[in-house]
Amino acid sequence: MDDPITIALAGLGVMIALIALRIPVAYAMILVGGAGAAILNGPHVVLAQLKTLAFSQFSIYDLSVVPMFVLMGHLAAHAGLSRDLFRAANAWLGWMRGGVAIAAVVACAGFGAVCGSSLATASAMGQVALPELRRLNYAPSLATGTLAAGGVLGILIPPSVVLIVYAIIVEANIVTMFAAALVPGLIAVAFFIATILIVTALRPEVAPRTAGVPRAELLAATLGVLPVVGVFGLVIGGIYAGFFNPTPAAAVGVFLVGIYGISRGTVRWPEMRSSLLDTARTSGMIYMILFGAELLKIFMSRAGVPQAAAELAQTSGLGPYTILLILIATLIVLGCLMDSLSMILLVVPFFWPVIAGLDFGMGQEDTKIWFGILALVVVELGLITPPVGMNVFVINALAPDVAMRKTFEGVAPFILAEIVRVGLLIAFPTLTLALPHLMR
Amino acid sequence: MHDNGEAPQDDAHRERQRLVPLRRLIEGWALVGGLVLVAVILMNVFSVASGALFGRPLAGDFEMVETGVAVAAFAFLPWCTLTGGHVSADAFTERAGARTKAALAILAATIGVAIAGVLFWRMCYGLADQISYGETTAIISIPLWWAYVPVVASLALLVVAAVIALADALPARDMWHD
Repeated sequence: MDDPITIALAGLGVMIALIALRIPVAYAMILVGGAGAAILNGPHVVLAQLKTLAFSQFSIYDLSVVPMFVLMGHLAAHAGLSRDLFRAANAWLGWMRGGVAIAAVVACAGFGAVCGSSLATASAMGQVALPELRRLNYAPSLATGTLAAGGVLGILIPPSVVLIVYAIIVEANIVTMFAAALVPGLIAVAFFIATILIVTALRPEVAPRTAGVPRAELLAATLGVLPVVGVFGLVIGGIYAGFFNPTPAAAVGVFLVGIYGISRGTVRWPEMRSSLLDTARTSGMIYMILFGAELLKIFMSRAGVPQAAAELAQTSGLGPYTILLILIATLIVLGCLMDSLSMILLVVPFFWPVIAGLDFGMGQEDTKIWFGILALVVVELGLITPPVGMNVFVINALAPDVAMRKTFEGVAPFILAEIVRVGLLIAFPTLTLALPHLMR
Repeated sequence: MHDNGEAPQDDAHRERQRLVPLRRLIEGWALVGGLVLVAVILMNVFSVASGALFGRPLAGDFEMVETGVAVAAFAFLPWCTLTGGHVSADAFTERAGARTKAALAILAATIGVAIAGVLFWRMCYGLADQISYGETTAIISIPLWWAYVPVVASLALLVVAAVIALADALPARDMWHD
């Protein structure tokens, strides 16, 4: 029992058991990480580390964008950016078959561009688009399914909290990761739109046709969306163009969204207060998990688990793509049970050394970017798959009269589209890597 | 998620009527943390503007961001714990009985108290160390222990929040009733 690897594996077993027993993921990581490190390094070492570990972890510069993007998402929802987006998308696309659902997807993508979280996107857009879809007699399953799936775009379209955390773990450049996520994110939008077109072509009764809007409304809605476009252009465009680092860019984004909301009268103290408290709740959760992941990393690296996993993969005789598929399948299964951020923090420290030791015919840096995007896409699948599918829960809470089963039914075609997309991204790494290469 | 002293509607609600001043304090502290975050954001905007207009960004904006966001993040922890914000995986135990679930909630809350306690205990020593080292940030030379003071206060509140969360998880309401 004094073999470090055995201790580490036992620790992982205990941690999974604790998580299965509803112990918050962060607590399970802290407990096992701390106890494991105490066994291997001696308790006094851990106790000494704990004097500064949390502070040094929380004061990582790159992490500072996380609460800022969280706050930006909450403020944007209060300021009415989600409404503006849906109104404009609907004015342009609503007349098509399934057009209002397509508009909801496009608006989700737009909101994803100012918000780093899937749940926040699903919830903000759900509140705006769901009543409209229901009013126009769209089938309930299509309405809720579209919004649950559309919420995923919140994290696939940069900025993305999960991507930031991945970049910090594997020491990749956040800007490069954002650039890499853009094309796959746009492919997701295209695939979701195609899914709606196919579904409504096969079963026209799910989406009644609606009349187009008058020209005046088209113009007004288009003008109304300009502030969002402006914020996105400045923040993300500024980051891509190298004008900004992510932190100042995020700060400017929050500032502009706040000013916009205040000047419109949609953000006053009660909205500000509730945005801040929601930000506190979400960020507190994220930071606690980050702290737990750090303790766990100390334990696992001391035990040599990442290297052992990498060696195991190299001597297994399996081809690199087989191993990649095994890891992705593992992520999909885990994604059905856990939230995406905990999962990335939990598995990437093990999976990345494995992947890094394999030859995919590209450089180490490229592999890092490519695998990060694949992992991001796959863990986000967990948000819309049963049994946990957090996005489905969020949307269902907004439409209590639609059975959960109906929503999962509505989401199923989108899951199919996502699986095709993962296949494409694996088969053609250039979809992910072209933009980062262009920026170099 | 929080109550503003509305009329109690159910048991859970009645429980949250206890210890209201402490809950308010924790909420207020999270808002203070939020305002620190806003201050960091405004400082950044000022620095960007100053850099763009006069070619002179604020000196030490980097370390003010690091320290400010860390201070804010610690201030968020008690509120997150009090409102049950830490994610857990419920899929495995969905079919468990109400008693089992209640027992697991107590276990989770107890672990929360232990973690909060250890963190508070260790970081009190962390503060003492920082005072005796007299370490400062690189550019504008803020003593690092200044940042540790609100952090240790946050952790003290985290202990309080974890204990309240445990009390909320316990079934024996009578014990706590006035």
